[in-house]
Amino acid sequence: MTAPIQIQTHEPSAPSRRSFIKGVIAAGAAVSASSYMFRGSETLHGQGSLPGSVERLMTLNVNGQQRRVDVMKQETLAMTLRYKLGLTGTKLGCDRSECGACTVLIDDVPHYSCSVLTHTVRNKRVMTIEGLESADGTLHPVQQAVVDEQGFQCAFCMSGFVMSTVGFLKTNPNPTREELAHGISGNLCRCADYNKILTAMMRGADNMRQRT
Amino acid sequence: MADNIPKKPDYKLIGQNYVLPDLVAKVTGRAKYAEDFRAEGMLFARLLLSPLPHARIRKIDASAALAMPGVVAILTGEDVPKPQQPPGGDAAQRPNTVPEVALATEPLYQGEPIAAVAAIDELTAAEAIEKIKVEYEPLPFVVDPMVTLRPGGPNPRAEGNIWRPPQVQEFKIPAAAVKDLDEGRIPFLEDTPIRWQVGDVDAGFKNADYVLDETIVHQSTGHQPMEPRTAMAMWRNGKLLLYGSTQSVARTVANVAQWVGIPEKDVVVISEYTGGGFGGKIPGAQTMAIPALLAKKTGRPVQMRISREEENYIGRARTGIHMRVKIGFRKDGRITAMDMCVIGDCGPYANQGDAGTVGSTATALYNPESIRFRGVSVLTNTPPRVSQRAPGGEQASTMLEPMISKAARHLGVDQVAIRKINAPITGTEFGPPPAAAAGGGRGAGAAAPAATAASGGRAGAPGGPPAVAQPQPAEQGRATGRGQQAAGQVPGQQPVAAAAPAGGAPRRAFFTSAYLREALDKGAELFKWEERKLRNGQRIGTKVTGVGVGVGTFTAGSIAMDGLLLVRPDGKLCVQTGIGNLGTGSVHDCSRVAAEVLNFPWEKTEVVWGDTSKNLAWSSPQAGSQTIHAHTRANHAAAMDMKQKLQEIAAKKLGGSPASYSVANERVSGPGGGLTFAQAAQEAIKLGGKYDGHEVSDDLNAMTKTSAAALAGQGLMGVARDNYGRKGNTQTWVASFAEIEVDVETGEYRLVDYCAVADCGTVINPRGLAAQIHGGGVQGFGQIKSQKWVYDQRYGVSLANRFHYNKPPTILDIPLQEMLWAAVEIPDPQTPVGAKGIGEPAIAAGAAAAICALNAAIGDDYLRRTPATPSMIMASLDAKKRVDEGLVTHV
Amino acid sequence: MATIHDVMPAFELFQPASVADTLSLLDRHRKSVWVLAGGLDTFDWLKDRNKRPQVVIDLSGVTELSGIKSTADGGLEIGATTSLTEIANHADVKAKFGLLAHAAGLVASPQIRNQGTLGGNVSQDTRCWYYRSGWTCYRAGGNICYADTPTSINREHAIFDASRCVAVNPSDTAPALVALDAQMVIRNASGERVVPAEEFFIGPSTDITRMTVMLPGDLLTSIRVPATWANAKFYFEKVRDRQVWDFPLVNVASALKISGGKIDQARVVVNAVAAHPMRLRNVEAALAGKTQNEETATMAGEMAVQGAQPLAHNGYKIPLMRNLVRRAIRAEATS
Repeated sequence: MTAPIQIQTHEPSAPSRRSFIKGVIAAGAAVSASSYMFRGSETLHGQGSLPGSVERLMTLNVNGQQRRVDVMKQETLAMTLRYKLGLTGTKLGCDRSECGACTVLIDDVPHYSCSVLTHTVRNKRVMTIEGLESADGTLHPVQQAVVDEQGFQCAFCMSGFVMSTVGFLKTNPNPTREELAHGISGNLCRCADYNKILTAMMRGADNMRQRT
Repeated sequence: MADNIPKKPDYKLIGQNYVLPDLVAKVTGRAKYAEDFRAEGMLFARLLLSPLPHARIRKIDASAALAMPGVVAILTGEDVPKPQQPPGGDAAQRPNTVPEVALATEPLYQGEPIAAVAAIDELTAAEAIEKIKVEYEPLPFVVDPMVTLRPGGPNPRAEGNIWRPPQVQEFKIPAAAVKDLDEGRIPFLEDTPIRWQVGDVDAGFKNADYVLDETIVHQSTGHQPMEPRTAMAMWRNGKLLLYGSTQSVARTVANVAQWVGIPEKDVVVISEYTGGGFGGKIPGAQTMAIPALLAKKTGRPVQMRISREEENYIGRARTGIHMRVKIGFRKDGRITAMDMCVIGDCGPYANQGDAGTVGSTATALYNPESIRFRGVSVLTNTPPRVSQRAPGGEQASTMLEPMISKAARHLGVDQVAIRKINAPITGTEFGPPPAAAAGGGRGAGAAAPAATAASGGRAGAPGGPPAVAQPQPAEQGRATGRGQQAAGQVPGQQPVAAAAPAGGAPRRAFFTSAYLREALDKGAELFKWEERKLRNGQRIGTKVTGVGVGVGTFTAGSIAMDGLLLVRPDGKLCVQTGIGNLGTGSVHDCSRVAAEVLNFPWEKTEVVWGDTSKNLAWSSPQAGSQTIHAHTRANHAAAMDMKQKLQEIAAKKLGGSPASYSVANERVSGPGGGLTFAQAAQEAIKLGGKYDGHEVSDDLNAMTKTSAAALAGQGLMGVARDNYGRKGNTQTWVASFAEIEVDVETGEYRLVDYCAVADCGTVINPRGLAAQIHGGGVQGFGQIKSQKWVYDQRYGVSLANRFHYNKPPTILDIPLQEMLWAAVEIPDPQTPVGAKGIGEPAIAAGAAAAICALNAAIGDDYLRRTPATPSMIMASLDAKKRVDEGLVTHV
Repeated sequence: MATIHDVMPAFELFQPASVADTLSLLDRHRKSVWVLAGGLDTFDWLKDRNKRPQVVIDLSGVTELSGIKSTADGGLEIGATTSLTEIANHADVKAKFGLLAHAAGLVASPQIRNQGTLGGNVSQDTRCWYYRSGWTCYRAGGNICYADTPTSINREHAIFDASRCVAVNPSDTAPALVALDAQMVIRNASGERVVPAEEFFIGPSTDITRMTVMLPGDLLTSIRVPATWANAKFYFEKVRDRQVWDFPLVNVASALKISGGKIDQARVVVNAVAAHPMRLRNVEAALAGKTQNEETATMAGEMAVQGAQPLAHNGYKIPLMRNLVRRAIRAEATS
């Protein structure tokens, strides 16, 4: 057996994550962000390489950072983000393009990251919910609108909705309520808090227009 | 409004919008849901599900799977703890069935987990699952309650096909009644386990001017929270640390302990954020036990993420209902009699109480002059049912409200007026008669109120979830000191049922407050009902408009929970709460009450939640709309205790009587000067005893006592059980109004406008309340419009396992303009802050208003089942008669 | 039946940069190869583990397969991997062939349209839930149709042209392309062939295991929309349970050439009623020369559903199809 490839990762600096790490260490364990998902898979699943096929080791541009990562051929972007890069703000609700919780921007366009092979986004810019906040901690105008309007309930769908909205507003910065509803209709909320979500996202559009 | 309606005091925090403290973590992606936790050496688990609806497992050969590199452990039904049956006693009074376990050896539904693999990654676990060889012995199965109830129909289990608590027995419809079934009618069955009657039903029908008699079918629907029920488990120093997705935190410990087979003291539940539940994540589940047992077996942390399809099976569902109901109306719309026969489809295990709740809900909606109720909980080889938002309540409104609308149209009575004339008021009695309620003692919206099911619906399922709601029968013991309102007479209504007979015989349950008529009035005004109803039936092109009203009701609060507060020496107020954070915001909303009572700034209040090792108070389950009632009370009690202690400390330190000191702005002040909260906390630690938590009241729950003991000495403690008592049952109503537009050439329809008004007492958080009202309403609309289960009866398998097949409502299903809402805002007199729960009735009213509006557009005689899909409407409109699947369930 | 889901089995991944390389890869791995475009159909099959190709060829790097070009005859040539969003928003498509833009804009959801391709949308497999669940039905090589037994739930299934299999074609763009007389450009290692859209889609009586004429080794490279129907009077409507994500219960695409209130020429195509988009030639013929009015529309609707054979749960498709065709022909039709 060959040793698994070492992966360079960057720990997100979110306070809640730090506090969790502390908590777990206190409990006698440690957290690392190395590849959980497919750690042993290289040897187990016979992924040698046919000539001309893709290299597993790749560089991803995520939230403006270059991330080196070892990616299985069949690995989806959602899995890479969540299990290898520690970006767990992107949620998996259905894994089948049917709920939108995993929505991220690829070159500014909303996609279901559960249904994108990571190998197909090489050379593209991936933006997740973690990348919206400014370095100084200022929330993105759409995020701020959610806070202002108490958008969402359980919020498991929230990152997907926010990313869809941010993507849609790039193509239509001044939508009507109906246009926005259609623009973000590929996202499901089971709390069915759609009325308030739309109100919050309309405010987000307003915030964006004011900030620019 | 009458003068005796309680007034709301001037609050600083209660009733104000505020930014929920967890919102920024959520919106930045930092909030950790169960699947977001990682631990060194963590393994991944995947499940093997039964492909058959009922089978005995003869043999599991996992050798090939175990031999795979990377596979660490495999768990089967042989490895999981068996729940204990209660020993001794009369055999006939013991459950005769095998309860649900984490991994089945005799799977009773397709999709039931039978084995689990832990491996170093998910892919390896998935590959290993495919290598497990299972030999099944197929057994008889049935997935439709109407099939098993037919003479000669298959039984889902060897013991029988219905619950006659505490046992499962066989029950078949008499041969003479088969003709009814063949003609699409449910017969009025006689020997049902649940039977009760109030008033003279025969006389009621004789006095009726108009009688309706209908059979209606309501599907089961999955809860389908956005977050599938992931759990991660690890063992540390003999304790299980369970990072799980659950509605309730405090209330999950016991269930996990039971599923895993360890004492409660060895379980720590961590659940800071839960991605929705709607009843499906009340209790903790096998999906927590499996990673816990695998973690124990392997000595490593184990995470189990389940797929959406698995969630569809394991995630539970609403009880499907088949109902026959006959309703007698007087000319003015008043209901003189109801005769109901209700069949509830519970799946293969526990006795879910929805069938019985349909009956008690009917009384809470209409206060009929007489009612006869018969109900039976049927078992089928389909996933287990559990409470789903307004269990039984939603079905009651959805199935009964269209009949009320039809009668109103027939009688020429306004739709709002017919609901007002039948509406209960404060003090109205409801539910089964006292004899039937005794022992069962459940209010409208609670689990089965059943004469013959008196020993409780849950018997026979010790591994199953607890009842959602636990309202008590009218309590005589603990008076609040507040005036109790007499059961007044509603204009147009004769007094219903006798008051408590002399001699102290138990009285029928009654409402602490009821303002449905006010809600209807307010809604009619807000929705411009008088103007809008003129549009009924209006056709523009191929689009026809329908306007409808619907009411929903449910039990709205439990009592006697604990509150635990601590002022630390730095002056900060900590609210230690065991409430789960499932999205309703109640964990924070309830905490606001403590700050309100202490006149303390919210910004300096810290809510401690989401981890049972953090010394939290015992809590109600976050279910059954209990929390806002139970925990505004409990936190009020704890805050009053703290206030008392602050005053005592000030008096001791500064002189004077405790009563001469007042508490405000982080200080306790009076004749001798003042102390800051920080100083008072330091004094409390010096004083010890009850002040810093070293002595606590004996009536606290054990969990609260343990938490208090751990916090003792760290500051000034306010801790109390809610001993305010209550006369009557707390119940909430919602009145909803909907306008719908139907395209009569395609059967498609859309919600044009929606308005809902809640009678839920004092409003704690307006935006949170609006979210509950509207979210519930849209969920209800989904029940009507598109959400479904589908079964192939020949193979007994589920077909609609994914969102695009089972169709939850989307953002394009809501009106284009902002949805309206309001609250009656009359405090409930039997609870200190006056707040009543809201989650459940919102869905019932939403569903009812939508179906009534739909009928108003297309006619009253087409729709007798849910969901009302475009295909069903198209077929019926084309045939000019009802075209549907009759009594067949899950089409 | 598969019992584990959502973890794709391993495969070898190729990302060619040219059509030539793609064709040579397709030829070389003919036995177990899968072409990946948007992937929305693909990943379902792979996650359910009901299809296990050894080799997957990702077309996202083949830039020559994407984009919309005007052709000399005034038509358009649309690359097979052009996204549905691009088609729905493209100025030329909207201006000349609004029918296609409209149909593409009603597919699934915004994210799916951002990623899903025109080639993928027309090549997608049927959504029959028995077949998609991995049951070994006729279409999967077995000898039964599970969707056509007395207990089958077949609300979404066929009312026309069923032959053992009762599955339907779920595409929204397919009927629009048939109505526009589009040509499908198919290449393989031995050359190129151009197939009219109407013939591209096949029913179970032709081949029960395929939805289109595409064979192993074939690659759909582009779709040509000739000028023939440019700026005709178009109508597209899709009826579904929910206004996002859902496949059509029935959809209709029509193109009419009208002069002086009379219909000179018509194309009327309905999908989700058979395993292929149904071009209603009899209706088209009957419409020629008729005045566009309610009477003509009603006649067209009635004629459209002649010969329909409903299953246990899909009788509604007959009035629905009848009404949709009616609406497509009506003078005041707006969609």
